[in-house]
Amino acid sequence: MSVTKFEISKGTEGLFIKNSRFKTTLVSFNFYLPLEKEKAALFALLPFVMTTCSKDYSDFRKLNFKLSKLYGAELTASAEKTGDYQLLKMSISVIGDKYALDGEVLTAEAIKLLCSLIFEPKIINGAFCESDVEREKRKAIEHIKGEFSEKRIYAKNRLISEMYKNDAYGIPKCGTVEDVEKINGKSLFAAWQEILTKAFVRVNVIADNMPNGLFDDIAERFSAVERNNITDIYNTKKTEEAKEVKIITEKSEVNQGKLVMGFSLDKEFSDPCVADSFVAADIFGGGPYSKLFSNVREKMSLCYYCSARSVRVKGLVTVESGIEAKNAEKTQEAVLEQLKMLKEGNITDDEINSSVLALSDSLNRYNDSSEGLESWYSTRIFDKQLITPEEYSEKVKAVTKDEIIKAANGIKLHTVFLLLPEDEK
Amino acid sequence: MKREIFESSIGESYVKAVLPSGVTVYVFEKPQYNSCHAIYGTKYGSIDNCFSVNGGEPIKVPDGIAHYLEHKLFESEEGDAFDRFAKTGASANAFTSFDRTCYLFSCSDRVYENLEILLDFVGHPYFTEETVRKEQGIIGQEIRMYDDSPSWRVTFNMLENMYHNHPIKIDIAGTVESIAQINADLLYKCYETFYNPSNMFVCVVGNVDTERVLEICKKMIADKPKIEIERFFGSEPQSIKNPFVEQKLSVANPIFCLGFKQKITSPFRRLKSKVCVSLLLEILCGECSPLYEELINNGLINDEFSYEYFNGYNYACVMFDGESDNPKAVEKAIKDEIKRLRKNGIDKKLFSAVKCGLYGDAIRQYNSVRGICMNLTEGAVFDYDILEEIKLLKSVTLDDVYKRLDIFDDDLSVLSVVNPLE
Repeated sequence: MSVTKFEISKGTEGLFIKNSRFKTTLVSFNFYLPLEKEKAALFALLPFVMTTCSKDYSDFRKLNFKLSKLYGAELTASAEKTGDYQLLKMSISVIGDKYALDGEVLTAEAIKLLCSLIFEPKIINGAFCESDVEREKRKAIEHIKGEFSEKRIYAKNRLISEMYKNDAYGIPKCGTVEDVEKINGKSLFAAWQEILTKAFVRVNVIADNMPNGLFDDIAERFSAVERNNITDIYNTKKTEEAKEVKIITEKSEVNQGKLVMGFSLDKEFSDPCVADSFVAADIFGGGPYSKLFSNVREKMSLCYYCSARSVRVKGLVTVESGIEAKNAEKTQEAVLEQLKMLKEGNITDDEINSSVLALSDSLNRYNDSSEGLESWYSTRIFDKQLITPEEYSEKVKAVTKDEIIKAANGIKLHTVFLLLPEDEK
Repeated sequence: MKREIFESSIGESYVKAVLPSGVTVYVFEKPQYNSCHAIYGTKYGSIDNCFSVNGGEPIKVPDGIAHYLEHKLFESEEGDAFDRFAKTGASANAFTSFDRTCYLFSCSDRVYENLEILLDFVGHPYFTEETVRKEQGIIGQEIRMYDDSPSWRVTFNMLENMYHNHPIKIDIAGTVESIAQINADLLYKCYETFYNPSNMFVCVVGNVDTERVLEICKKMIADKPKIEIERFFGSEPQSIKNPFVEQKLSVANPIFCLGFKQKITSPFRRLKSKVCVSLLLEILCGECSPLYEELINNGLINDEFSYEYFNGYNYACVMFDGESDNPKAVEKAIKDEIKRLRKNGIDKKLFSAVKCGLYGDAIRQYNSVRGICMNLTEGAVFDYDILEEIKLLKSVTLDDVYKRLDIFDDDLSVLSVVNPLE
């Protein structure tokens, strides 16, 4: 296992994560752009259109045939939110050539395919093909609307949009239905040109051996593009402490209520490299040893799940729980009571040891999953210095009780979102 | 001790051993990996709600009891199993499905210690009326959570209208009413029956030493008198109950689950059927198929579309799930495509492409210790060698796959739809 970073060209870097245990090679292109209300929907649609056809593969059936013939090469597209940025990802994972039954070349072919999808899309008269765009628009709209159907996701999204009303982080990662509807082949083509010009680009490769000439090839492809105003990825605005806690209650025809609480995290602890708040949030509501699980669920039987998680780059901690409407207030109080205990240093050595052991054990498992590693390095883009899961595990182990208490004192309630069943008629 | 070694051309192998206690142990070494994934499971799930032991009188137990028992096994007189794993750093969990209950952990350190904890806590039930009662609030909330899950509801509505009597139609966690009938005596009764080593299996995958794993299993799993369990699933007519069912929930888009009930010829699942039907489903509506292209281009499905061959003890059906404004049009298109395939046969190019794709997918599974472990569990429940799948994917013919079209009978289909509230 080793990780090497390469400067491919201006604003484009490559990461080779050498790992010989997998039967596959995984290559991902990650485009980072500032989250902007006007462009979120447009950018988010791009990876999906670009992974359904290209200059060489005029429709998705032809492309899917090719992927099958590459022994089920997995082509994926996504649009995520990470800090105040939109992350557009396109990746391919393919099994090693030695497994091919008739001596076919798989790895090089799959990588060539991925590069061609990104750099040689199907463009007709300066626009993406309208029928491709319309098809992906429909799917994107159904996807955005569909988030309402899964109430756990819906409640979390509602909290974030309320908590960050005038902040980039409040913009939905795939934009809004109205914005998707406005997209056409021409505007999408302009967006494609814009991401090639402006996005900060990271190419992650997880393989036994570095594919021959890949980074040179990418450098050459980017040399044909004028790269300017490249996204500065270090500008995520930290969550400000709330002057007054905002409580929003919404009614819906559901059986179970959802309680989601958003907390700001003191700036001092919101550097993703700092492990103090990571451990503090875990003792608060991470594993089954956490305060929320062992008290709110196990002792008080108030819910099936009640957990906390931190998004340090944004300085955010969230707590989520599924509850009976009549217990909404009681659960909220119980959560805050547990946080108070943490702040007052009411933490046992067992709790600390359990959390540190569990976190470092799981960090040490990252190397066993190529998707896990890919996600580690693409979301930790904000670290000025590369940090491996093992190195981070060492930081976790070094955290002291005093540091945990200090970090916990930086967690402050900001916004509460409650989704409750309609009153009985 | 009876012991076998299974190997494959892709450089993977594992050991299967039946210990004197009757438990079957699978050890799959992955020496290059940091971590380990282990499952201790029993062939006991939500469908086993009526059974007899050693030829005695059949006993009927409340729905959801297997799942309830799973929750309660984590507790012991000295505290719960989570506390013990908290001291090693392992991540532990459990799940109950239709035909099995599995207890598991993942870890990157102290694997043998973790294995001892796993085998110990599952082997030592401890509950009192009071601790049993306490769980009702937690499981009650779990049931409520699933009541709001459209994907869960649409599937169970389909199964409820496909099966007249088979307990596959019952929700895994039971209902708030059925779990209220569960008490400590009943839990012990089920435990003594289904947690007999002869009905159980251990799967360990990762950076481990096979001999040491077998030693620990021998030491930790006590011998118990072997018992004969007979399961009663009720007689199930071949027909379905209703071809269509609809529910309204708070969803944005309508979702559907289309099922085709299969006539049962063998009560067990066979690997060859799984492989052939998987290929057939790819040919019918996979991403390379003409039908998939038609459904996507006509706006009838989106990326949520999926399909599965769902079968086990005395039940088998094919399910198509997705989101659609017009589920009936999707149903018609699928049925038409089945007819077309019957008439025109399977396109050779398409067959060779999907076979290649599934072959690659099968190899890819061996990237993940968790994936291998879950797969071994499947092999343990249905008694097959998981590595055989790769061999079958090489040898299976177009004709083998074509023959499987007879699992589809238009008269045995059920369309379940969850529509938005008005």
